[in-house]
Amino acid sequence: MSTGDPTFRFRIGLVPRPGTSPAESQAAVEGQEPAEAFVPPIDIHEGPDGLVLEADLPGATEKSLSVQLEDNVLSLHAAVPSFVPEGARLLHEEYRPGDFRRSFILSDEVDRERISAELKNGVLRLLLPRADRARTRRIEVKS
Amino acid sequence: MGGVHWQGRWDPFRELRNEMGRLFESLDPFPGARRVAQYPPLNLYDAGDRYVLLVQLPGVLPGDLDLAITGETLTMRGERKRAEGIKDDQYRRQERPIGHWARTITLPDRVDGAAVAASFSNGILTVNLPKAESAKPRQIAVSAAGDESAYVPGREVNR
Repeated sequence: MSTGDPTFRFRIGLVPRPGTSPAESQAAVEGQEPAEAFVPPIDIHEGPDGLVLEADLPGATEKSLSVQLEDNVLSLHAAVPSFVPEGARLLHEEYRPGDFRRSFILSDEVDRERISAELKNGVLRLLLPRADRARTRRIEVKS
Repeated sequence: MGGVHWQGRWDPFRELRNEMGRLFESLDPFPGARRVAQYPPLNLYDAGDRYVLLVQLPGVLPGDLDLAITGETLTMRGERKRAEGIKDDQYRRQERPIGHWARTITLPDRVDGAAVAASFSNGILTVNLPKAESAKPRQIAVSAAGDESAYVPGREVNR
């Protein structure tokens, strides 16, 4: 991933869940009983105060969503309740109902204390504010 | 089944392939399926007296969606917009699909168009499509004609 702004280098990437080998992590993505989890698509863009991460989590509710920060790994997990009417017979399936799970590595430039999250219409919006020391500072040069 | 009509310059899958490359491929159990997947993904169920259609449309508002039903054909079209005021070069990663889309679904049977109801909940669209009276399973009463010899086992309606 390229970083255009040298004053604010931010690395964020998919990581295996802590304590799992890549193989185990892949198995988790493919789905293991009972909790089948999918990797949600995300957008990341720069905002005025830091980075904004948006993730598609259709069906997730505030109660079913957890965002955790452990060391430098930010993990999101959303349990999705079933929308299928009881006793209904499946005729056609293009997505598998299941949970969403994804993890990211945060760089030191994110102010962990001020991370905030908002869930609206199945879209999670995470605000990752820049830590003060990572902001561009103008240094006066005295003659 | 109708295709997706992307009008944006951005191709989500090209971006994904370029940016995430092998990492993505190694994590995605169905990279091929993902490329041909239609947008938006939908599931269809038969709930006896009605069909239930579930569509994943996170971030889409009811006003950005158009639903029409004719006989047994359901047409959906809409637009998924990106947040306003953000320039392209501000994006570090773009995986979420955007743009105009349209899909046409042919239901297995006729539905009562006037009774179709749709609702949004947390980014999932639920469309309830009650089956038309003529399409509902019916019990056909068999009246005895008085002639015992005309009785055919198995013709009788199970109650």
